[in-house]
This record gives sequence, C-alpha cells and structure tokens, in this order.
Amino acid sequence: MRTRSKVLYAAVFCLAFSAVILPSANAYIDPGSGSMIFQAVVGGLLAVAIVLKTFWRRIVSFFRRGRTADET
Amino acid sequence: MTGAADVLPGSFRDPAGFVFRRQGVLLRQVNEIHRRHFDLLTSSGLYDALTQASLLIPHEVVDDEPAAAGAYRVIRPQPVGFVSYPYEWCFSQLRDAALATLRIQSMALDHGMTLRDASAFNIQFDGGRPVLIDTLSFESLVEGRPWIAYRQFCQHFLAPLALMSYRDARLGLLLREHLDGVPLDLAAQLLPRGAKLRPPLLLHVFSHAKSQRKHAADEAPAVESGRASKFSMQAFRGLLDSLRAGIEGLSLPGGFSEWRNYYDEATHYSDRASNHKEELVDACIAEVSPEIVWDLGANVGRFSGLATARGIRTVAFDVDPACVDEAYRRAGSANETRLLPLVLDLANPSPAIGWANRERMTVAERGPADLVLALALVHHLAIGNNVPLESLAAFLAQIGRHVAIEFVPKEDEKVQRLLMNREDVFPAYSVEGFERSLSGHFDVLRKLPIDDSPRTLYLLRAR
Repeated sequence: MRTRSKVLYAAVFCLAFSAVILPSANAYIDPGSGSMIFQAVVGGLLAVAIVLKTFWRRIVSFFRRGRTADET
Repeated sequence: MTGAADVLPGSFRDPAGFVFRRQGVLLRQVNEIHRRHFDLLTSSGLYDALTQASLLIPHEVVDDEPAAAGAYRVIRPQPVGFVSYPYEWCFSQLRDAALATLRIQSMALDHGMTLRDASAFNIQFDGGRPVLIDTLSFESLVEGRPWIAYRQFCQHFLAPLALMSYRDARLGLLLREHLDGVPLDLAAQLLPRGAKLRPPLLLHVFSHAKSQRKHAADEAPAVESGRASKFSMQAFRGLLDSLRAGIEGLSLPGGFSEWRNYYDEATHYSDRASNHKEELVDACIAEVSPEIVWDLGANVGRFSGLATARGIRTVAFDVDPACVDEAYRRAGSANETRLLPLVLDLANPSPAIGWANRERMTVAERGPADLVLALALVHHLAIGNNVPLESLAAFLAQIGRHVAIEFVPKEDEKVQRLLMNREDVFPAYSVEGFERSLSGHFDVLRKLPIDDSPRTLYLLRAR
C-alpha cells in the first residue's frame, strides 16, 4: 500500500509540474502553499478523469436507453 | 435603524465585512473593498440561483447605519432558527453540509464566481437542510487559479468525514478541538491504510498532506498577467467532482451504539405507561405552547416528534451520534423541516471556544428555550454522573423558561441497573429531595404520575 501510494504520488508529481504557475492569491484565509501547488500538480489528472467519466456516463446512458427501448 | 451595534465575537476574520446585532436585529456590514464581488453575486444571477435552490440564506439590502467605517452596504440576512456547530453534527449532517458546499462552489463557477472560504461554520441547518449563511464568501473567479478554499474544505469536511466513516462517529468531536478543521497530517495518521484504496482519499487527504509538509515553507509561484494559466476550468470541475465522489463514497459509521435500539429493547415501560407518558408530555407541550423546544437526551427523537407534529421548531440533543444520525435521516425522509437533531454530551456540553473564548457559543448562550424536555434523563446525570440535583435544577432553569422533567425514582429498574455495581452514595435522590432542589429555581405547574410506572412527570416554570 505504502509503496503504491509513493509511486502514484511521484508519478503525479513527475507528470504535471515542470513549472507550476499560479495567479497570485489575494486570500484572507491562508490557502496553504502546499495545497495550492498540489492542486496545480493534480489538476491535469483530475481534468482528464472528469472528461473520461463524462464520456463513460454517456456511453452507459446510451446503452441503458437502448435497453429500455427494447424492453418497452 | 440607528443605535448601539454589537459586533458578533466570531465575526472578525474577514476584511470584506462582519455581522452585528442592533436592537436585537442581526445585520451584516459589507465593506467597500468587497463591493465588486458583492455586486457580482447579484448581477451574475448567482444569488437568485442559490436562494432558489435554498443553498444560500436570503438577505435584504437595508439602509441601516453601518457599524464601522469603510461600509458599502448593510444587509439583513434571514435569521436561522438555532445556531449549531459542526462538532455538534452527526456524520450525515456533516456530509450533507459538505455536498451543499461543493454544489454551491459548482454553481458559483457557472456564474464566474468562486468560494473564497469553505468553513463548515459557514453552514447552518435551516428547515432541516444545510444552507450557506456567509453571503460574503463569494468573489469573482480568477481564471487559472486553483481553489483557495481547497485546504479548508479538506480539513473541515473530507478529513473528519473519512475519520468518522472509517474509525468512529465520535471523531467528529475533533472539530471542537481543531476549529480550522482536522489537520490533514493528523487525519492521514489516524485513518487505516485501507482508506488509501479510495483514490479521492489517497489524493485529497494522504497526498495532499504530504504536499503540505513538503511545501510548507514555499511560496506558491504567482503568474504574470496574461500568461496561460495552469489550473483549467476542467481541472477545477474535476477537483470538485473528485471531492464529491470521495464524500459520497464514504459509508455511514458503523460500530458501537449504546442507545440506538433503546426503544426496541425497552422493558422498563409497559405499553400503558409508555402511552400515558406520551399523552402527558403532549399535554405539557400544549399548555406551554412554545416556539422552540429543546429535547435533552432525545434518542432518535420520539418525544421531539410530539412538538414537531404541533409545528414547533425542536432541537433534539443526544450524546449518541448513531441516534442523532438516525433522527436526522428519519426527519429527512419524512420531510420534517422543524427538527434539528444534534450531538451533545450533557455532562460536558458545548463550551465557549475560539479566540478569547468568544467565537463559538455555549449551548446555554443559545437559549433559553421556551420548553426543555428532560425525559428519562435525571438518573443518568444525578446517579450516572454524580451531578447534585440542586446543580441540575440550576442548569435547567438557565436553559429553559419551562421544563417538563421526568423523575425516575430509585426503585425503577433503570436506576437499579445504574446502582448495580457501585455504592449508593445518593441519599438525597428521592421525590422529596428532587422537589426540594426544584423549589429554589422553579414553580411546579403540574405534578403528573405516570400510570403503571413509579415515575412522575413535572411541568416547571423557571422563576
């Protein structure tokens, strides 16, 4: 488990970041530099994930619709 | 309206404005520096969208005098029935508050805005549902910038929810110690390794905690204006979706519950006694005709139901998070909007905490209630926790204008069980001793013996 999480963490870091560039934050709470950098690092991954998820949902709903049509 | 303004002690962090009370009316000052964002909330259509979805507390712009310099507007938010805090919520309440926050943020993005904080204290339960009370939490979206409130969201919602789900529902009380949410390194240490199998937890708790440690001393690099941004809208949507999936994937805390099956397993009440008690309590509620009832030791809210059935707002306190969770979920499925179940240990009720011990109120400061129900409770406090009856009476008189209290005498099987393994050091625990303790604080309006039971119900009015 521990190895797996280390590998994933390292992979995500290597993938995403050569230069993390963020607009400056004028926040009244401390957003936390680790938290801001982390989002920029995993942002690409999460963007891909939601695109795939949306795509997958469309496929599933297409077939579901097909099946419901057959049944009726 | 003019006159002296009392700024609420918990409202000092945000330079965009603050909440104050004048002649009993709750108002919020919006400062000039927040003008652009406050106007955008309305002009973008976000305010209408959120209030129509009951996700944001509605307000009116009023022409009251500001309470301090630098004001742009004064608004009067619709008051919330009872102020509760995240450390008083059960798992399902905290989860619903978290999902509401994510929905609000998602709608804000649709309108070119974003939440600038994601504190669980900005959510209150109104009409049985979570609603954002901080109208100043929105600012215009800066494209390419990650979510400023991400750290706060993970600490206030995701980490405690994961701990409650994986370990124990009582860990929600960590929010009482950590007012800015459970530190992620602490959550990562306390969660079982198996929690890493869920990608959202691996990412937003474990890896996030590592990143915080690694970059603690770093400055988040700023972008020069006009350059391509790194955090796309798709990434922002992906982040919110991943947080939502992480929270929706958490199952209800299982494990130990002393009280959840109390009524099913109850043998100390015959049907006759039980029905008679219900009739008597209902008659007390009718006699007092309260606007708000606090039911202490409410279990899953059986007697609270008598008050809500009469259309009365009722706060049902219980020490057992499993009971509170069940009461909350039952109220949700029955569309019961007047019930607010909360976790509270009466032997150690919510204290005054935060900066100068004034940010968050004690339970007593949020009262007094018009009617307090203290049913099948006295023996737990007086014998189970050694609280002197006199002290119990004084506390009840402080939190309730009226009290309906059930005295459970020593011969009752429940008291016998409490005394089973210990010395009876309670010579004053008797009907006479109980009535003597009440006499300094209350007028006894009714003394009602419960049929087929050694117990007696008293209806009291605080002096």
